[in-house]
Amino acid sequence: MADVILESQPDINADLSSDQIQQQDLQTEEMLVNMGPQHPATHGVLRVVLRTDGEMVLEAVPHIGYLHRCAEKIGETVAPYQYIPYTDRMDYLAGMNNNLAFAQAVEKLTGLESEITERTKLIRIVFAELNRIASHLVSFGTYGLDLGAFTPFLYAFREREYILDLFESACGARLTYSYITVGGVTDDLPERFVDITREFLDYFEPKVHEYNLLLSHNHIFIKRTANVGVITAQEALDYGLSGPVLRGSGVNFDLRKQPGSGYEEFDFNVPVGQGEKGTVGDCWDRYIVRVSEMLESVKIIRQALDKLDGTEGQETLHKKGKTLKLPADEIYYEIENPRGQLGFFVRGNGSAIPDRVKARGPSFCNLCVTEKVCEDVLLGDVAAIIGSIDVVMGEVDR
Amino acid sequence: MASITLPWVQRDTEKLSNYREKAIRLLAFIALAHIPIILGAWFLLDPLSTKPADLQDSKVLLVPPLCLGSIGGMLLFAGAAFAIYAYELIGRVLSAPWVAFIIFIGAIFGIVIGVWLHAEILMTVQRDWMPAKETSVIPFVGIEYDHTVQSIYQNNLEGKSVDFPLIGAISIDTPILAYLMFPLQFPLVRDLVAVGGIIGFISLIPGFGIWWERKVAGRIQSRMGPMRAGGWHGWAQSAADGIKLAFKEDYVPPGGDGVLFRLAPYITFIPPICAFIALPFATAWVFRDLDVALIFILAMLGIEVMGVILAGWASNNKWSVYGAMREACQMVSYEIPMGMALLIPVMTAGSLSLTGIAEAQSGGFWTWFVFVNPWCFLAFFLYYVASLASCKRAPFDLPESESELVAGFLTEYSGFRWSMFFFGEYVAMYVVCGLAAILFLGGWMSPFPASSAEWFIAQANIENGMLQTLVKSLLAANPIWFILKATFLFFVQLWIRWTLPRIRIDQVLYACVQVLLPATMVVLLGNTLWILGVSENGLNLGWLIAIDGIINKILAAAGVLTLVGIVGIAAYGYRNNKKLVGWLAVDQLPGK
Amino acid sequence: MDSVAAEQGRSLKDHMDDLAFYIFAAISVASAFGVVVSQNIVRTALFLLGTLGGVAGLYFLLDANLIAVIQLIVYAGGTLILIVFGIMLTSKSPWAEFKPPKSQIVLAAFVGLLMFIGITSLTLSGEVNWAARATKTPLATSPKVAEAGEALLTTYLVPFEVDLTAIGAAYLAKTEK
Repeated sequence: MADVILESQPDINADLSSDQIQQQDLQTEEMLVNMGPQHPATHGVLRVVLRTDGEMVLEAVPHIGYLHRCAEKIGETVAPYQYIPYTDRMDYLAGMNNNLAFAQAVEKLTGLESEITERTKLIRIVFAELNRIASHLVSFGTYGLDLGAFTPFLYAFREREYILDLFESACGARLTYSYITVGGVTDDLPERFVDITREFLDYFEPKVHEYNLLLSHNHIFIKRTANVGVITAQEALDYGLSGPVLRGSGVNFDLRKQPGSGYEEFDFNVPVGQGEKGTVGDCWDRYIVRVSEMLESVKIIRQALDKLDGTEGQETLHKKGKTLKLPADEIYYEIENPRGQLGFFVRGNGSAIPDRVKARGPSFCNLCVTEKVCEDVLLGDVAAIIGSIDVVMGEVDR
Repeated sequence: MASITLPWVQRDTEKLSNYREKAIRLLAFIALAHIPIILGAWFLLDPLSTKPADLQDSKVLLVPPLCLGSIGGMLLFAGAAFAIYAYELIGRVLSAPWVAFIIFIGAIFGIVIGVWLHAEILMTVQRDWMPAKETSVIPFVGIEYDHTVQSIYQNNLEGKSVDFPLIGAISIDTPILAYLMFPLQFPLVRDLVAVGGIIGFISLIPGFGIWWERKVAGRIQSRMGPMRAGGWHGWAQSAADGIKLAFKEDYVPPGGDGVLFRLAPYITFIPPICAFIALPFATAWVFRDLDVALIFILAMLGIEVMGVILAGWASNNKWSVYGAMREACQMVSYEIPMGMALLIPVMTAGSLSLTGIAEAQSGGFWTWFVFVNPWCFLAFFLYYVASLASCKRAPFDLPESESELVAGFLTEYSGFRWSMFFFGEYVAMYVVCGLAAILFLGGWMSPFPASSAEWFIAQANIENGMLQTLVKSLLAANPIWFILKATFLFFVQLWIRWTLPRIRIDQVLYACVQVLLPATMVVLLGNTLWILGVSENGLNLGWLIAIDGIINKILAAAGVLTLVGIVGIAAYGYRNNKKLVGWLAVDQLPGK
Repeated sequence: MDSVAAEQGRSLKDHMDDLAFYIFAAISVASAFGVVVSQNIVRTALFLLGTLGGVAGLYFLLDANLIAVIQLIVYAGGTLILIVFGIMLTSKSPWAEFKPPKSQIVLAAFVGLLMFIGITSLTLSGEVNWAARATKTPLATSPKVAEAGEALLTTYLVPFEVDLTAIGAAYLAKTEK
């Protein structure tokens, strides 16, 4: 057997760059695998090039740009009111929050903020938090799917359906709402909206407990996620992570708790990764932060709905929103999106059309940690890690 | 709903009805053309004559096809003509839910009765004919045979009748049956007929299994599963899928090994079917009662892996290779605990033959090996876990894990070849469940002791022979019990599949080498010592025998309670199926 | 029983047995040839499966069920897959090929030819009375599984234990890596 020469077929790496092929030829037993852009576990068109040794992943390099739509450049050609639908299409799982971030940035820039009524603010909070629940439901469901549990996914979508029904009743759309807009919200709440939302919350709250029984505290699930993909607090801060990924690493930072966020009067907690099942900052922590945040959002929505009752009849859409002239000034404003801090930079030049619009997407910034975390893990862990970071490629590529 | 007529799909109705008329006329003509054949054959061959001179062996090749085949052909063509004539009416009737339900249930019963008759005939031939000898030789070919048409008629049919319950005695005194039974005296022909029966059963497993899996998945996920094809709960979904798959593009990836790519599905597909050679459904209901049946079935399940490896390798796709490697390492490692867990019932029964093992559990459900002592109880679960891994079912479905490996070794497969893998997988699932049913759950034995049948017949004073047979088979031993048990275990596999996440490859191997393997070794040793302690030829320890009896009863009670619990929860869920959302019962859904 | 009488008393089953023998023998020989000729590891493995399966079929024909299924489970189901698995994992890539040096080919061909000549000459020489041996049907004498098991644990206990130890040693050596 000793004299038997083993030769590899030369053409197996034809789809790789020449550098990579050279590297491949020098080393033995390693294989370069393209995970994506068409792969079930990469949540869209993320492409991760894996350098593997058997089942071990030595290196994972994310490649992005397959969904680039010039979202920022478009912002320089249209008025802010017209740009709102484009923000929907960035993080398409959290359209309301994206609308909110851009609308508030523009309102702050033009000084329209002071004229927004109390009712509008409350409606915005209700919708932003409902959308946070919807987005976390997708994240929770697809995370189960990444780890091979099919059923939680359909449960999550069943519940999300009710939220989408609520959205549809308010604005007619189920995915790209453009409901929250510059100057307020496009329409007042429909009849019985508050009652139905309360019904939904009563129904939804015990469901979270069911998810915990089904998935969060499942032994196999814990074995798959605890101590996997650990991001320490320092690393998380170094990489500029935000949202559940940052909080999963044990850093208690939520923009909603900062002054000026509009959430000052609400009583809610910020769930932080405790390392309950493994190390602080592992996949399970990031996952459970999302699940707990859904319950916190329920709390916020309940409070907001109570306050909404006393604001009947207030104006919800300011007329000036459509005809705004942006001052020759600039602003950077960010809010807490389901995935982290979503910021918009807007610079006006005195006309209706901004000079520059730039978005700081949480998915994009969170994605950069993939390469660091996916070192020396197993192939199955890559799906677990990417799922726990929860990226939306629409926003990464913009 | 108003019907929408699209101008570009309007049919040329006149032309169509023309074709219909022509087809009906043609079919009717062919049907009528059979009549002279039937009359001529009847006149020349005289198949109903019982005179010894007319019962000639040389007519064997003419009587069944000409006398019965042409009648069947006539009915077939006439039926086809009628179906075209009244297709609108038939379509409406067929798609009504209740009719479809009746068809579904009727088809199941028809299959059961058909298989039953088929087995009865084979057993009759083997049991009643073997002693008689009256050798003749087929001219030209020179093959000897023992039973002439005349002797078959005179020994088995003449003046005989079958005693049906309710209907009464029905005479079976017709020589046509003798002509039909004549070929069955050749072992080869009998084997071919038996193979037909087995393959018929096997081909039903994936069709039923896939439909059922989708229904189970649907119910678990609070949806309905397939509902359209066939009318009643989508019962024809698998058939529709099969037709669709057969017509899909047969893609062979360029750059791969085309020959092996085409060959691999067959290597995965044939061994699980071969396992049915040795898998008994009941004492005489087995194609070959091998004394090494257990090892044979394990070997067949082991060879199946080769197909998966070839498929993964020949696909020229890295994900496929990962799938193949995972399958190889998973199978090779899990074969060991699986085989060792299977040794435990073998040891308890003192026999390697599956029939012998099942016969050792005939004294009621508390003598089933899963309850017989604590070690066997553990061994059942160890075996079940290992068997999940060996048929790559969740949570061990790593070779085809869609979220990691796209579709693993199946990535490049499509259409019919893809469905072959699934065929093999479902058959293998049924085989491992059948093994578990035979080795641990008493196989085809009913939960009652074998003596209960006689007791019941004596108490109820049943005199009708067929009713007696029915009672005996229900209360003592019957293939239906085997199928029920195996199907229940099959259901548990589906249940697990749709509940649990998938484990990781290192955990798969850890679970095998560090957990299952030592555990099976301990259980094997424990069982050996236990049997040594309680057996009369061994140590014959009095205290251990007493504990053995108590533990046996406790385990049996636990088993009954588990079953009652499962049935109870299922019944509760069925009662509240309109109100349940997950485990939450709601009177009204939000916003409704 | 001499061969003429044997020919007359043949039933359909005997003819089928003959046919099956030739089929299995052909599969074994053809696959064995494939194993030698093929340079592709996975194809070699497939051919090896054919050889092992064919020989197992021959065992079945001889009514040696135990040997046949052990052949299948140990060699075809276990060892073969381990070999393929090992080669696929340890080589540079799974798409690896065998390229034996010419000297080895010549040597192997020489040894093979020698054995072929030896066996053929023995068969044709008439030294061995095949017909007389064939009458000793394995049906009558081959031990059943229970007897085989008993023999393994009594008469042949020492070789059996040694065998087990070898397996254990191999297992330990494997895990250390």
